[in-house]
Parts: sequence; structure tokens; C-alpha cells
Amino acid sequence: MSKIRVVHYINQFFANIGGEEKADYQPELRQGIVGPGLALSAAFKDEAEIVATVICGDSYFNENLEKAKKEVIQMVASQKPDLFIAGPAFNAGRYGVACGTIADAVQAELGIPVLTGMYQENPGADMFKTKVLIVETKNSAAGMRDAVGKMAPLALKLARKEEIGASSEEGYLPNGVRKNFFETERGSKRAVDMLIKKLAGKAFTTEYPMPNFDRVKPNPAVKDLSKATIALVTSGGIVPKGNPDHIESSSASRYGKYDIDGIYDLTSSSFQTAHGGYDPTYANEDPDRVLPVDVLRDFEKEGKIGKLHRYYYSTVGNGTAVASAVKFASQFSKELVNDGVDAVILTST
Amino acid sequence: MRDFIIVTNNRQVSDRYERIYPVEYYEVTYMQTLLLVRDRVHLGHALLTHPLAGSIKPNETPFKSVMISRSKGETDPGSVQLIEESIETYNKFKNKKFPNMSLRMRDDYAQIDLSLLENALGSAVEK
Amino acid sequence: MKLELGYVHIRDIQFASESKVENGVLHINKDAVKKLILEDETIESVDLEIAKPGQSIRILPVKDVIEPRVKAEGRGGMFPGMIAKVDTVGSGKTNVLKGSAVVTTGRIVAFQEGIIDMAGPGAEYTPFSQLNHLVVVCEPVEGLKQHEHEKAVRMAGLKTAAYLGQLAKDIVPDEVHTYETFGVKEGLEKMPGLPRVAYVQMLQSQGLMHDTYVYGVDAKKTLSTMICPTETMDGAIVSGNCVSACDKNTTYHHQNNPVIEDLFAQHGKTLNFVGMVITNENVYLADKQRSSDWTAKLCRFLDLDGAVVSQEGFGNPDTDLIMNCKKIEEEGVKTVIITDEYAGQDGRSQSLADADPKADAVVTGGNANMVIHLPKMDKVIGYAETANTIAGGHAGSLNSDGSIDAELQVITGSTNELGFGRLSAR
Repeated sequence: MSKIRVVHYINQFFANIGGEEKADYQPELRQGIVGPGLALSAAFKDEAEIVATVICGDSYFNENLEKAKKEVIQMVASQKPDLFIAGPAFNAGRYGVACGTIADAVQAELGIPVLTGMYQENPGADMFKTKVLIVETKNSAAGMRDAVGKMAPLALKLARKEEIGASSEEGYLPNGVRKNFFETERGSKRAVDMLIKKLAGKAFTTEYPMPNFDRVKPNPAVKDLSKATIALVTSGGIVPKGNPDHIESSSASRYGKYDIDGIYDLTSSSFQTAHGGYDPTYANEDPDRVLPVDVLRDFEKEGKIGKLHRYYYSTVGNGTAVASAVKFASQFSKELVNDGVDAVILTST
Repeated sequence: MRDFIIVTNNRQVSDRYERIYPVEYYEVTYMQTLLLVRDRVHLGHALLTHPLAGSIKPNETPFKSVMISRSKGETDPGSVQLIEESIETYNKFKNKKFPNMSLRMRDDYAQIDLSLLENALGSAVEK
Repeated sequence: MKLELGYVHIRDIQFASESKVENGVLHINKDAVKKLILEDETIESVDLEIAKPGQSIRILPVKDVIEPRVKAEGRGGMFPGMIAKVDTVGSGKTNVLKGSAVVTTGRIVAFQEGIIDMAGPGAEYTPFSQLNHLVVVCEPVEGLKQHEHEKAVRMAGLKTAAYLGQLAKDIVPDEVHTYETFGVKEGLEKMPGLPRVAYVQMLQSQGLMHDTYVYGVDAKKTLSTMICPTETMDGAIVSGNCVSACDKNTTYHHQNNPVIEDLFAQHGKTLNFVGMVITNENVYLADKQRSSDWTAKLCRFLDLDGAVVSQEGFGNPDTDLIMNCKKIEEEGVKTVIITDEYAGQDGRSQSLADADPKADAVVTGGNANMVIHLPKMDKVIGYAETANTIAGGHAGSLNSDGSIDAELQVITGSTNELGFGRLSAR
């Protein structure tokens, strides 16, 4: 039986090249094992071997998605692997997103089984857990042994095309596919034990997490629009031409605040879209299509609204973590309130 | 006057009740009945019975009877949620299990749907 | 109430000239049982068969499974209001023919429900593959209406189980389990400082083939109420539910309620098992509202700290389950709910028809849509050809070689929502 050929993807930090300052490291293919691959390899024993490692900086990957994906996939393909492993990324957000993205892409393009690992709260987890199997790890590299302990056996199962069990059995993040399995104890006992824990204020794990409800209660309606100050906020990525704040085309890690005082119309010479998730042609032609400044100026003139607030806030909603969106809005809504804004029109795509 | 309408695709239901209560009978599929109810809910009728009455799976029985309020008011969000969730549940059971049902089988399913409605009527009318 | 439940272990079952229990073997006089069942004039004929664990036997369509029990000492008789006269049960001594059961089958309606395989992969998904069965196959008189047919089969099963149970009346049990719950004051004095926990059991109550009886009363007609857990051990709650084999509670489940057993196991140690609330699952929305309001009210009244809530059946009971959970939590009582799932054959659909963030402690009996292949069995007891119209299967479920391709739904008790089994999902 020939050994399973594995290609491993890691970032600049785990390759010992450097930290944040080296996050722009371009993809490099190295033969054999690098960094955490050693632990994986030991766990594989004779069953599999890491024939090559691809190293890529997290910033380079996230800011050059299409190019980076292509480069990395080419490198992976050249090794003719049976299996691809990315990470584990623990709680490093950009690394986690990169791992999820590249694992998903390799799976799609090369048709080989893929596996990655990260902490439950890593934004990459929410984004990719339904697309690729993600082993649940602790939140820092101190959990490397635990991560490898789960990743190696699951990786071998995937490579051998064996039946994969339920998420709790195999150690991967629940991926939206419910799988049956037999517990050691009957349901009623599990229920009583769970209740005892709940009553004692101890931690317990539900067997069926309710679907995510992020419901926001609407505020009461604006009493008099003609006197109201309306602000524009968008996740459609409309930014001043040149994208001075370098808002990322996906997985945005920041937002921008821009002054439209005296501007009655957005044009292709002054504004653009930074969003990488839709065809930018029409938004670049006339950015008002995504951020309707022109219409709101008309409303101002006609007295339909009191006035359009001089600042607008913009980010890119393409694959941006819910947690990030909540963070941005918590910050700038304070400013909106202080500036006397009565209502906000949110545009997205 | 009874403040309910029975929306049904079950002939047995309309035969039994159309002379006593407001019944709207449509010769349509289970799903189409759910959609008709949904339309009425959006127009302001409230749901009086759960659209997924009974434990027989939606892709097994051809019959569906639902009670809605006769009067209309503000669209009831609870009813909207319930009918939409029921339609979603129906969609989980897409493949018709028994496309060429015997008459006997159809009759049995009709009987059960009738019984479920009968019991609901018991609660609606007993005052 | 205090009940001593005595197990008379049954390890084999056979037909004999005299009905008796001897050395762990249940001997059954066929003619005596047939005569008893045929007292009901709506039954034309009856067949009796035996099925034992490990045998290559398939029983279908299963209507109910009942455990033979008898009141050995104390008030009342088995199945009060149904077989025995109405009288409060749940105290004294009750003997159980442990390891045996009566299984009723009947082609009440043209679509079928309920398979028990005594061997093979299907056997793993039902607790009933582990028991020694007397299978009752009844034929109704010509033209009998569905609800009368259902009643006839139901009563035949209960009568037979009561008759067999009687055989254990004077036998000294092999082991005895004692269960006791106390009044409010006494409980507080005996178990100060222990969290007060009750069991809220939801009963299927929607109509034909979907009913449950409490002391002979149709559960849909009741307001939520309280019952002592030991009363269920004497057959106070009986099943008239013949739909959705995987998650319906057979009478056997009611008699052997695992939530009750597991709460008793902790009673006096980590919790005070205060008692039980039973509520229904009606179709009329206002009834659902009323029942869940009432249940929450009772939980508050009992000053509970926590409650285990179980449901029964598919679809709209999810609404009752969530209503009960929410309202009980809103009264400051912590809940754990037990349910099963219909997540589609690929496991990707939303499992429950209803949901709420307050339901943060859930135990699941597994995905009922999972597809299984049941290999051919040497013998089929019941109505073999009905495998083609088995609910949970599809036209063509029955393969020419006698094997069945269908969803887990078809197996009696496979995703039971009392937590009877070990099947789960993640």
C-alpha cells in the first residue's frame, strides 16, 4: 500500500519566516515538512507523508484572493497529492479565512479530500464550516497537540474515503449536516444529566443548537421625515476613487468614513466600489447606484427629508464576519448619534 | 356567525361540513392548499389550526385541511411565521412517496384528515 | 406514592397447553388467548405468533407494544379505565414479566407503520428486538370503520398483556425496584436544598390514530394536569397512537418511561423528583396556547427549579414543545427538552419545524429521515406486502428479494422522544 501523499498549507508565522511584518510573503513551495507539519507527520506514522508544504503570507492571500488561489492551487497540483491539509489556524482570523478559502478551492478544483482546523470563533469557521470539514481546535497554538490529535485520524479517514461519523465523534465543527450515531447512554439519562449541569450553572453542550437568530428589534418610525437628518451607510463598498483606506474586497477588517459635504452626485471619476463580490462595472459607472447620494440630495431639495448627513460610512460586506460587522457598527453608530442623525439608510448588494 | 373558514382539498371534509360551516374546497394538491392558506394569512386572516396537523408526513398524504379566521385584521406575524415554516417543512419532504395510491389508501388518508379537523372543530365550536 | 416494581425475568416464550410462568419461561395457551380476544365481536379472527431476539423475523405493521404487568398488591388494577376499573394506581406492588411483550399488528389503514426486525441491522434501531414477543394479528369483521378497528386492536393488545401479566401475580419477583414520590411539604422536609425537578410529558392527542388515553380519558380533552410518575408504571397512560413509528410512544414506552426511571435514579441525591405534568398536543392553536400556558403555570406553582420536557410525534408538536419550553423558562424554571429530528435524507435541512433561543438544552433521538436498508428476513409476521406502502418508505420500498429500503422513520421506537434509545445526531 503506497503512502497517502499530503500537501500542507501554512502561513508565514508557522513557517518561522516572521510575524505580521512578513504577512505579505508570496506563495512558496517547499519539498517536505515545515513547522507544524512535523507533528502531523508523526501522527500519520506510516500511513501518510507530507510530500510538500505551501507557505503563504496571510495579507498576501487575503488581498490577492484570485491570484493567490491560482498560484497555490498550481503548487498543490504539481505535487499530485491524495489529500490537502491547511493550518490549523487556531484563532488567527486572516489565517483561518485563508485556510478555509484555499481548502475549499482545492476541493473544488482538484477534487481531492481536504481538511483544516481552527477555533470555533475564528471568522473562517462560520464562513467555511459548511463547505469543508474544519476540526475544532483550541484558541491558540498551545492547542497544537490536541488539534493534530484530531486532524490526523480524520485526514486519514478522508483520504481512504471511509464513512465520516457525526461531528462530536470525529471532532469537526458541526457543518450543517446532521449525522446519526449511537451514544453510550440513553437520551433520557443524557437529558437528566444535562439538566443537573444546567441547574448547577455548569457548562453543558446542547445536542441540537437552535438556528442562529440574530434578530434586531426595529426602532419606532421617524415621526417627521421632512425634519430628519438621514445618514447613508453601506456594505456595498462604495469608497473614494483609489480606495484610500484600502478596504479589502472581501473579509473586510475595516470601514471608512467619508465626507460628502457639497457633493450632489457620485461619479466614476470621484468614487468607486471596493467590493469583490459583484460585477463592479455598473457601480463604478455610477456609484449612486449603490450609494444613492443623488436621490437623497433631490429629496433634500424637495423638502422630503430634512438633510443628508455630511458623512457616510462604508465597508465591504463580502464574506465579512458577522462579529466584525457588529464591531464596526457599534463604533460608528455612536458618532451618528452624537452628530444628531435621526435615521440611517443601509444599502447593500 | 362562526368566525372561521375551513380551507381544504379533502372532499370528505367539504361533504361533511359545507352545509353547516364556511368551507372553501379546492381541488388542488397539499402544497397548493398550504399556499392558498399562506395567501390568506398575508391578507389578514389568522391561522386557527396548525397547518402541519397530524404526524403523517407531507409527502405521504394528499389531503390538507386548515382553519383560518373568517374576519380579517392586521396581518398576524405569528400566523405568517407558522405557515411559512410549515411550507419549509413540506419542502423537506419533496418526493411523493405514493404517486399511484389505491382508492382505499386515499380514503384512509382522507378519513384521518377529517378526524383531525373534526377534533379541531370541537375546540372551535364548543362555546 | 410508593410503588414496588418486581421484575420476573422472562428469558423464553412458548406455546403450551397451560398458560403459566415457570423458571423464567412464559408458557402461553393459544386457545385461551384467542378466546379472550374474540370476545370482541368486531374481530373476525385472530392469529398468534412468537418472535424471539436473534430470530430472522420481521414484524409489520406494528400498532402497539405492551408489557405484561399485574397489580400484585394494593389499590387498582392494570390499565385503569381501559381494562381494570377506574381506581387510582401507582402504589403497592406490581409485578412485571420483564423481557416479554405483546405486539399488535393490524392493517387498520392502507398505509402502514411500524417495523420490528428481531435480527440484522434493523434490530439495532429498536429496543423491541431484545424482547420475547407474543404477536397478535387480528382481522376485523368486514366493513369495520377505521376508528373502531383501531380501538379493537388497541383493546386486544391491552387485554392480552393484562392476561399474561396475571400469570405473574403470585410469583416472587427476581428483583424489586422501589419508587417513591412525596407530597410538597414532605418532599421539602426530606430533601431540603435539593433542586426541585418535574417531568413534563407531552402526549400525542390529535385524532384518529393519533390519540393517547389517561385512565381511559382521551388526552385531547384534558387540560394540562399532574400525575404521579408511578401511576404510569401501572398503565395509567396508554397509547392509541399509530402514526410515525419512529417517534410515537407505544404503551410499553409509557409503562417504562425512561425519563421517569432516570429522574428517580437521582431522586434524593442530586434532585427532588417532585412529580409529573402531562399535557397534550392539539391541532387547534388556541388549545396549544392554553395547554402550554397551563403547563408553565403548574411548573411555577410547584416552585420548580427545573423540568425535563419530552414530546411525541412529528411536525406540529414541535410548536407545542417550543411553546412549553419558552413559557416554562419564562417562569424561571430551567428546561431540557427531548426531541427527534427530520433533517432530510442528506441531513442538511432544518431539523425542527419550530425553534427558539430559549431552547438551549436539547437532547435528540436522531434524524428520522436517514435512509436504511433492511435485509430480507426469513419470516414476516403480520402483513408482508404492506412493506410497499410503509410510511417512511415509498412505492417500491419492498425489493423483489424481500429487503426494504426506507427511512429510519419506519422502525418502531427508533428515534423515540422519551430518550428511550441511545441514538443521537450532531
